[in-house]
Amino acid sequence: MRSLFEWVDALPSSIALRESLNAYPTMLTIHVVSMCLFAGLIAYWDMRLIGFTLKKVPVSNIPTRLFPWALTGYGINLITGALLLYSQPMRYYGNFYFWAKMALMLVAGINMFWFHYATYKSVQAWDQGREIPLNARLAGVVSLVLWAAVVVTGRMMAYSGLMPGWWNNLNIGA
Amino acid sequence: MLQSFFVWMQGLPFSAWMLEETWASPIIQCAHLVALVGFAGAVLVVDMRLLGRGLIKTPLNQLARELDRWMIWSFVALFVTGAPQVLSTALKQYYSPFFWWKMQIIVIGLLFNFTIRRRVALAEEGTLGHWPKVVGFLSIGIWTSVSVYARLIGLLS
Repeated sequence: MRSLFEWVDALPSSIALRESLNAYPTMLTIHVVSMCLFAGLIAYWDMRLIGFTLKKVPVSNIPTRLFPWALTGYGINLITGALLLYSQPMRYYGNFYFWAKMALMLVAGINMFWFHYATYKSVQAWDQGREIPLNARLAGVVSLVLWAAVVVTGRMMAYSGLMPGWWNNLNIGA
Repeated sequence: MLQSFFVWMQGLPFSAWMLEETWASPIIQCAHLVALVGFAGAVLVVDMRLLGRGLIKTPLNQLARELDRWMIWSFVALFVTGAPQVLSTALKQYYSPFFWWKMQIIVIGLLFNFTIRRRVALAEEGTLGHWPKVVGFLSIGIWTSVSVYARLIGLLS
């Protein structure tokens, strides 16, 4: 894994992106704005499942009407995130919060697929009503917590001096 | 006068504590970002509806009423988590053009939201022609600019 990161780090296009004055601020700004689009909409979907808000909106309306926008935000977020990683792979390789963010995104994705292919199949039974099944509410709570953690670990990536001691002892970035 | 106010803020014991306490700034910044997500979602769901997209089967005024409190409380959270950051880096903010642009647009955004946007969102649908679309578009533009300038304070100041 390390050799892959080192190989990318030495690529001329990675160096060019890293040395560009405008690339990093531009990519990071688009990353944050697209995060607002994706995470903002997903948060209200999760809160609808939990029963915090939008209770009069049929549950099935949200995936059909809001997910295309949320996925657009996610797509832009993924592209800018990949470019940020591509431009400074060795900065992120040893960063605990980077790996924590990747792991959290993976778990959030699994939760999303599990919900979609298991719990959501019975949506017609609870679409209009206010009583959301426990499984769906749990999936909403898990998703909300996981995406919040993704946002937090994403921000924490800037604090390379605040990584856990046990992680530092592994000397991954050295 | 404004400069001396910022110098005073920078010199507060709280500002010194924020800078000295290792975890204070990261925790506040993370909370600010989470509040931003809450705010953006509440704004976007209504703005997209104003644009004729998103939850079109739900009456606009119902959506606007329900999400209004989420937007207000998210904004309060943004303010509560944003103020300590301004206090602890007051002089950096003072000399950053992005900070002033952000503040000006926030004021415009709040005035716009509590006057025009709210009135249009709560009006009977179909009575205002193309105005809801214009308002939705402007609202997205205003709050996107705020996030862009906010990000640029940290990156380019």
